[in-house]
Amino acid sequence: MVRYGSLIAILVVSQLVGSNYVTNLLNIIGLFALPALGLALLMGYAGQISLGHAGFYGMGAFGSALLAMHTGISPWITIPVVAMLVGIFAWGIGWLVFRLRGHHLAMATLAFGIIVHVCLVEFRSLTGGPNGLPGIPVLSFFGTDLYSDARIFPLIWIACILALVAAENLVRSPVGLFMRALGENERAAASLGIAPDSMKRSVMMLSGAFAGFAGGLYAHYIGYLSPGPFDVGMSIKLLVMVAIGGFTSIWGVLLGVAFVTLISEVLKPLGAYDILVFGAMLVFIIIYCPRGILHPIVNLVGHFGRKQPAQAEKPL
Amino acid sequence: MDEFLQFLIAGLMIGSLYGLVGIGFTAVYNATGVVNFAQGDFAMLGAMIAIAGYELGLPLLLAIVVAVLLLGIIGAILERTTIRPVRGHVIRGIIVTIGLSVTLQGAAVIAWGTDAQPMPSFSGDTPIHIGGATILPQTFWVIGTAVVLMAVLYFFLQYTILGKAFRACAVNGFAARLVGIRIENMRIASFMISGMFGAVAGIIIAPIALTQYDSGLSIGIKGFVACIIGGFGNPVGAAVGGLLLGLLEAFASGYVSSGMKSAIAFLLLLVFLLARPGGLLGELEKAGRH
Repeated sequence: MVRYGSLIAILVVSQLVGSNYVTNLLNIIGLFALPALGLALLMGYAGQISLGHAGFYGMGAFGSALLAMHTGISPWITIPVVAMLVGIFAWGIGWLVFRLRGHHLAMATLAFGIIVHVCLVEFRSLTGGPNGLPGIPVLSFFGTDLYSDARIFPLIWIACILALVAAENLVRSPVGLFMRALGENERAAASLGIAPDSMKRSVMMLSGAFAGFAGGLYAHYIGYLSPGPFDVGMSIKLLVMVAIGGFTSIWGVLLGVAFVTLISEVLKPLGAYDILVFGAMLVFIIIYCPRGILHPIVNLVGHFGRKQPAQAEKPL
Repeated sequence: MDEFLQFLIAGLMIGSLYGLVGIGFTAVYNATGVVNFAQGDFAMLGAMIAIAGYELGLPLLLAIVVAVLLLGIIGAILERTTIRPVRGHVIRGIIVTIGLSVTLQGAAVIAWGTDAQPMPSFSGDTPIHIGGATILPQTFWVIGTAVVLMAVLYFFLQYTILGKAFRACAVNGFAARLVGIRIENMRIASFMISGMFGAVAGIIIAPIALTQYDSGLSIGIKGFVACIIGGFGNPVGAAVGGLLLGLLEAFASGYVSSGMKSAIAFLLLLVFLLARPGGLLGELEKAGRH
C-alpha cells in the first residue's frame, strides 16, 4: 500500500508542479510501463523470451485507430476491444511459437515482430505506410477532449496502476505460483500437473493484451501513427527495461521503465552516442547485475512497504 | 532463359553470402551454445573498417586483411569479456549478444555517421556477359571467396587436430574437457572465426550493397535463417541453407515481386522453426548439453 501511496503522491505532486515537460515524460513512462509489465510477466515469471512485443503494441495502436476512424466507434470502446483482440492474437502466436525454446523462441518472436513491422509499412492503403496515419480521433471525457498531456495523464496512470495491481495479484495467486514454477523448471512444473504450454499461452495472451492496450492509448493520445516506432528497437527497449528491473519484480519493472526513459532524456544531447551507452549498459547489467540495477532500491522501497513474499533467488 | 540465368547467378551470390554469415553463427553456437545476435554487425563492422582503411590510403587488399584480422581480435575480446561471464544462461546470453549488437551499431554511428559507405569493386565494374546474363565481376569474387572459405573451413574441421578438437567441443563439451581439450580456448577461437567470417562476408558484398551502421541486422537474420533451414549447428547445413534462401529470394523478387523478397526469409524462418526445427540436414547431435 505504501508503494501505491508513494506512486500516487509522486503523480499528484507532478501535476501540482504543472510542468508540461514532466507530465509528458510521465505519460511516456506510463505508456511503456504497460507493455513492459506484460513482458516481465512473460519473461521474468513464466521464463519465456519475446523479442516481438513491439508488434503487439503496434497492432493495438493501429487496430484501435483504424477501427475508430472507419466505424466511428468511440475510442473508449475500441481501445479495450482491440486490446482483447490483440490478446487473443497473442494467444494464437503463443500456440505457434511455444513449441520452441531458448534461441529458437527468441528468433521466432523476433521474426514475428519484424513481420508485423513490415506489414505496417507495406499495407499502405490501410496504414498509410511510412507516411503514417493522421487524424486519429482523440478520447473525450464528458465533452472534454483528452488531447493535451495533462488531460490524458490521469487515464494513462489509472490504467498503469490497475495493471500493477492486476500483475501483483496475479504473481501472488496460485496461478502466479504455477507460472513461476514453470519459469524455474518446466519439467518439474509439468510433473506437478501444470500444463506448460497452455500456461505459457495464457501469459502470452495477457502480455499481448497489456501491450495492445498501451498501443491503443498511445494512438488516441498522439493522434498520429507511423510504423517507425514499432520496430525491433522498441522490442529491445522493452527488454532493457525489464532487464534493468531485474525480471522478477513488478515494481522493479516500473522503476526500470522510469530509469530507461530518464536516461534516454539525459542522453539526448549526446545524439548518436545514446545507443552506444544503451547497448553497453544492457551488456553490463546482464553480466553484473542479473537481478536488476535497481535491486537495492527495490529492496529499500520494499522495506518500507509490505513484506515481500519469498522471491525466487535464482536470477534468470 | 536469360532471365533465369541472371536470377540463378544473383541467387547463388547472395546465397553464398548468407552461407558465410550462417557459418559464423554455427561456429559460435557449436563451441559456446550461444546464438550470436551480433553476427550481422560483425559483417557491418568488417566492411566499415575495410572502407576506412582504404580511404586512409591503404591498398585495398591490405585494408581488407587488416579489417578481417581486427574483427577476429574483436570477436575474441568480446567472447572473453561478455560471453564467458554469462555462460550457461540461454536468455542472458541472448540479451548480452543483443546488447553487443546495439553497442557495435552505436560505435559505427559515432565513427562513420548514419550515411551509407561505398567501397570500390575488387576488379572493376565492367559487366561480363555470359549466355545473355549480365554479371558484375564482384559476383564472382563473392561466390569464389565463399567457396574457398567454406572448403578451407571444411578441411580445417575434418583433418586438423585443432578442427577435430573444435568438433569435439561441439558434440560434447564435457567429454572434450575430459580428454584434455581446453574448451575456453575453443570458445575464443569460435568467436575469432565468427568475427573473421562475418568480416569477409561484409567486405565482399560491400562493393555491391552500400554499408551503413544498421546493415548488420538484416544480413544477420538472413544468416540465421540459413542456419535454421540447414539445421542449426551444422556448417554444411548453413551453406546449403544459405544457397537455398538466396536462390528463393532471387527468383521470388524476379518472378513475383521485389516486395516479396524480404517476406520470404521470415516466412521460411517460421515454417522451418515450426514444422521442421531440425532443418533439412538435421541439427548437429549434441550429447550432454541441455
